Amino acid sequence: MTAEDKTNETFQPRIVTFLCNWCSYGAADLAGVSRMPYPPNIRVIRIPCTGRMSPKFILEAFRRGADGVWVSGCHPGDCHYIAGNYYARRKFTLFRDLMNYVGLEPGRLHFSWISSAEGEKFARVATEVVEAVRAVGPSDRFAKQRIEVA
Amino acid sequence: MDKRTEKIREIAKRLLSEDRVDVVLGYGPGTVPLRNAPLFARTPEEADKLIWDSNCRINLANFLPRTKERVAVLAKGCDARNIVNHVVEHQIKRDQVYIVGVPCQGMLDPEKVQQREGRFIESAVESDGDLTVSGPGFETTLKLADVLRQNCQTCVHRNPPVYDELVGEPVPEQTDIDRYADINDLLGKPDGERYAYFQNLVKDCIRCYACRDACPLCYCHVCFVDEHMPQWLGKSVDPHDVLTYHILRAFHCAGRCTDCGACEAACPVNIKLRQFTRLLEKDIQERYGYEAGMSLETLPPLTVYRPDDPQEFIK
Amino acid sequence: MADMILKKNALGDFLKSLSGSYETFGPKQEDGEVKFAPVDGEVLLDYQNSRLSPKNFFFPQSERMLEFSADPAAEDAFVMKERPAAKQARLLFGIRPCDAKAFAVLDKIYRNDQYTDNYWFDKREAATLIGLACNRPCATCFCTSVGCGPFHEEGLDVLAVDLGEDILLKPLTDKGQKALDAAGGLAAADGKAAASVEKLKGEAEAAIQSKVAVDKVAERSVMELYEADHWAKVAQRCLNCGVCTYVCPTCHCFDIQDEVSGTAGDRIRNWDSCMSWLFTMHGTGHNPRPDKTSRVRQRFMHKFKYIPLKRGGDIGCVGCGRCVAQCPVNIDVRDVVRDMNA
Repeated sequence: MTAEDKTNETFQPRIVTFLCNWCSYGAADLAGVSRMPYPPNIRVIRIPCTGRMSPKFILEAFRRGADGVWVSGCHPGDCHYIAGNYYARRKFTLFRDLMNYVGLEPGRLHFSWISSAEGEKFARVATEVVEAVRAVGPSDRFAKQRIEVA
Repeated sequence: MDKRTEKIREIAKRLLSEDRVDVVLGYGPGTVPLRNAPLFARTPEEADKLIWDSNCRINLANFLPRTKERVAVLAKGCDARNIVNHVVEHQIKRDQVYIVGVPCQGMLDPEKVQQREGRFIESAVESDGDLTVSGPGFETTLKLADVLRQNCQTCVHRNPPVYDELVGEPVPEQTDIDRYADINDLLGKPDGERYAYFQNLVKDCIRCYACRDACPLCYCHVCFVDEHMPQWLGKSVDPHDVLTYHILRAFHCAGRCTDCGACEAACPVNIKLRQFTRLLEKDIQERYGYEAGMSLETLPPLTVYRPDDPQEFIK
Repeated sequence: MADMILKKNALGDFLKSLSGSYETFGPKQEDGEVKFAPVDGEVLLDYQNSRLSPKNFFFPQSERMLEFSADPAAEDAFVMKERPAAKQARLLFGIRPCDAKAFAVLDKIYRNDQYTDNYWFDKREAATLIGLACNRPCATCFCTSVGCGPFHEEGLDVLAVDLGEDILLKPLTDKGQKALDAAGGLAAADGKAAASVEKLKGEAEAAIQSKVAVDKVAERSVMELYEADHWAKVAQRCLNCGVCTYVCPTCHCFDIQDEVSGTAGDRIRNWDSCMSWLFTMHGTGHNPRPDKTSRVRQRFMHKFKYIPLKRGGDIGCVGCGRCVAQCPVNIDVRDVVRDMNA
């Protein structure tokens, strides 16, 4: 199936995507100027570094109804701020394990290291992420639609 | 009187009369059965009221951040680890706190006692491993070992790892303890069941924040629940907000929690809060080989990194 | 309005017959604790009190006050609307006299010369309370010291007394009488029953172990109590956690927030606690109660001095003892009041 065919599927997931400014955002730009197709379901938020990521952001995205969340940054060792992604890696590991434990469906939360030269990898991972989230279905467990009180 | 009570009073009186500390932080008898209260002894007379028994559940390290005084603190294994944590996180200077370590064999869980022996307990007396509870028309003796808190039953750090003075001899550490049997059990279930389990676990939460306020780790000037612009979660008992609160608070304790159980002890509706924090404790031990508060030299796991940290899930 | 007798083994049927006209609630044992829950015949009689107070029935922890559409295209965008409340008549069986007295105190607080809180009164007026007198008060109870008692009638519609094999039902208001008439199956009480009640009442009052004098608190001026030097000592171990305010039957403070989600919005009222630093935080950054001691002092002053001054003598505490049982650091209100009264 091409990227076009996939947009004709009924369920279009909405995936909040956090990209680090120096590497993964650049990769997204490169994928764009190189006209590499990938599904349009990702909604990008640019952050200076994955070290800026906080579990609050990921939870907030799910609470607002995101079907999936994807965080991508520089490869370990290549962080523009030297060590931001090293600290982020530990946070991601623990938070992902915690969210899995409390019942977040596998396939909703994704992480990757994509350098600004890897436009092709960006398009490929974006497609993988979108399909994984599409397979899980619309978000219902952690989304707060409207307050549930008497 | 428990031998440790005598020794504690002697130590406290000595520290105060030598002006080594301004206040000795320990436990005094509570006004209800099965409950002790924190006691701030500033004079030798007040120090004579200090006691030690199986109701010393409160984590006294909670009172340390932002104190300006020189404090001596009575600390069980878990509490001492929290004090170490405070020093490492620069919440108190090492020379400001005098750790009076108390090797601990477990504190009892009043809920367990209550569930075993009816509802109207009016008095509870300990002696030699037995607990005698009595109320209108009944008196029963239980074995303390049967009514210990769950974290005490699975404790592997009964002796304070860092201390200035120890009350009595170290006690043997428990071996062959599987601290995470129930966590692993949960992890083996389908994600839908886990979600339902956690929703059910916190359904009675009344957002009183007693767990946060009893926890020594929660010393932020502005807690994330009180942040606005953006406001991360609502203040009501909406089930999503309740679960968000517990998930985020547990994460803030990652790599710092010593499983002291102060949160569960403080909760007025008996929520088994440690089900959240223990997953992270297990994860951190397995992935980074770290246990909170064991040494003044080791830094908490989220403040350091190794180039070869696990990342099997990162694409 | 005459006293009636119900055979104890007919209690289940009595409640079942009422569940036709009322949504019925009573004390039940759930997960090892006593809660007020919907009953269908079976109810607990042998208990002391619920862990949380029943104020939730009239003052829910979280309540939707108003709703609105946040859709800018809608004609009624941002117009606050009340959601029509299901005004189902409720019957609460087994409320203790202390909790009922607390309702009576809150009635005075939620209605003043300028404003009536309809969120409280709508539910209060639609509910009938059948209280159960305490034959065996808790060890932490001190109701007789604060203008209440194990057989106190204020705030109730019917007072029930467990006589052993029978239950005496004493209607106190028209609402109460209406409930008894609706139930049926009751016999008139005789002099013997009345004598039993008096005897049980005397025994219960004598069984209350905690006595707390509050006379000097009433006499002393606000500033004298405020500037006493025992407050710092009490506050030393307070965690400012708020458990006391949440389990207390007379605590009534709340916070209102609007929550918008997509195109729907709600104005929500949540319980709030004076134990929180945020409670008195001004928008300017100034906080009139900036430290723990001032917040702890405020709580006890409010209950034992400010409320009696403003509400004609009624003390803002009913002696139920829940805060004593639940405070994680065992701050005992009885000891604090003794210090205030010393």
